[in-house]
Amino acid sequence: MPSSTLVGEGFMSLAVAASRGLGMPNLPVARVVGHPGVQSKEQLRKNVLEVTLQHVIDNLLNPPKAVKGESEPASRDIVVEGSFDEINDYFYRHELSDGLPIVPPTPQKIEQFLHYTDRDPGESLGNLLPDSRAATIWSIAVNGVMAGCRPEYMPVLVALVEAMADHGYGVEHSGNTPGGETLIILNGGIIKQLDFNYTQGVMRDGFIANTSVGRFWRLYLRNVAGFLPHKNDKATFGNTWRVVIAENEDVVKNIGWTPNNVDFGFKAGDNTVTISRHTGGNHISSVSGATAEELMPYVCDAVVKQYSWQFMFSVGQGYDTLRPQLLLSPIIAETIAASGWSRRDLQKHLFEHARISAREFERTLRDWTQKPTWDLAGECEAGRIPKVYYESDDPNRMVPLVWKPEDYMICVTGDLTRNSVYIFAHNGVLGFPTCKQIQLPKNWDRLLAEVRK
Amino acid sequence: MYDAKDGFYQALWPRSPRQSKIKPLAKRLDTLNGKVIAQVWDEVFRGNEVFEHLEEGIRARYPDVKFVSWKEFGNTHGSDERAVVAALPQKFKEKGVDAVISGMGC
Repeated sequence: MPSSTLVGEGFMSLAVAASRGLGMPNLPVARVVGHPGVQSKEQLRKNVLEVTLQHVIDNLLNPPKAVKGESEPASRDIVVEGSFDEINDYFYRHELSDGLPIVPPTPQKIEQFLHYTDRDPGESLGNLLPDSRAATIWSIAVNGVMAGCRPEYMPVLVALVEAMADHGYGVEHSGNTPGGETLIILNGGIIKQLDFNYTQGVMRDGFIANTSVGRFWRLYLRNVAGFLPHKNDKATFGNTWRVVIAENEDVVKNIGWTPNNVDFGFKAGDNTVTISRHTGGNHISSVSGATAEELMPYVCDAVVKQYSWQFMFSVGQGYDTLRPQLLLSPIIAETIAASGWSRRDLQKHLFEHARISAREFERTLRDWTQKPTWDLAGECEAGRIPKVYYESDDPNRMVPLVWKPEDYMICVTGDLTRNSVYIFAHNGVLGFPTCKQIQLPKNWDRLLAEVRK
Repeated sequence: MYDAKDGFYQALWPRSPRQSKIKPLAKRLDTLNGKVIAQVWDEVFRGNEVFEHLEEGIRARYPDVKFVSWKEFGNTHGSDERAVVAALPQKFKEKGVDAVISGMGC
């Protein structure tokens, strides 16, 4: 069917790249002048009638340009040979690296990684948008080499790409305006087996497992999914990749809680990766009090202050897709647990106390961000959101940030002796939490023993 | 230039095969008069206003054109976007749609 896609002028290069990935490089687009968000009603009307209108009519009536397919190297083609510097220069010039030196992905290095999986190198875990490339085991090994990972990290890398390819996660949104970056949380005995940091400085680079696997994620997004800045990656400001976080499961066990991955249906002790995208975060310092009741007012206040436009992922652009992520330092978790609170009690408390007024909720989404609807009463009466959002007509009634207690995600990690909390601002449906089990090769123990020698 | 002290490496392609093949686009219309145009929206960046202005401009040149509002199709960028997009072909068929305007890519 003939179509015309309306595209802001700052997104024309993205339209070209995305259309190519979808197999329609000549897909006609109509230019939207500037950005509608900062134009008066009169300016917007003038721009549409004087520019966009003609583009739309042309797109629907005029035959599109003829196009041909493009050829690319095959997966196992050697694309460059030479010195370390020459390899790195080639990869950077061809937009195949992130700007840091890469480890040259030689056939020998790639083979080392493939020893740590039982899966066929040609197997695809899915088709990654927007470039529409196959997420093959082979390509995981190649990018793992480049990122500086050790071969034995391969099972973690495979699980990460399985999560990336899960439709529920929404990898196709990884280049969206807010520039959210993926947070990876690791659970299970593999944390210690592979020497992931799960204590002080857990989000700091400097630990090869946490750092290189985090870098792998971004390289894979670039090289296989196709998110290149100035093309398919349209983050306004962006973030660099995050190092992998590992949960402190010793502390979790000692206080009688369950680890993060149990909320996703796995058993305590299972090796898993959990991914979710966050636009930012804040460290909450000096969380003080001898009981949960004394600690939580500060934490709830900090959660509320971390969120504004993201309410749209609870009501409106997304429904029930907001998942705030909290990191609790061990002594904070221990203090809360010592008050007799379970992990579920903590989630329930956050749901009931981290609230804002209905007036503020609606004002942020309707007036400030120019969204078309977002009337909590109307949404509730239509049955699209829970009744908790409209229990009275009082505009000062307090409403929750999320639909239900279990929407809060909790991870215990960081410095063993510090009273801190970290709160991430989640990106909703554009990076929805997804958890996958890490499949170890049959001879894992032997392979690991060889590495340790 | 190759530097013997810097090693010698043969590096492989880090991308994987594209799964999409070139798809031919639909034949364009000969006129918009008498045609039905669907509006498809992701519910951001004032698309509702943009569609109003486009309707006004297209009607001025093609008085017999008809539009099906974005309200009929659901949000193409919401939490159920995959289902919304998957349902579009059938909805277009039911509503006799001849062409589509989709926005907002901003």
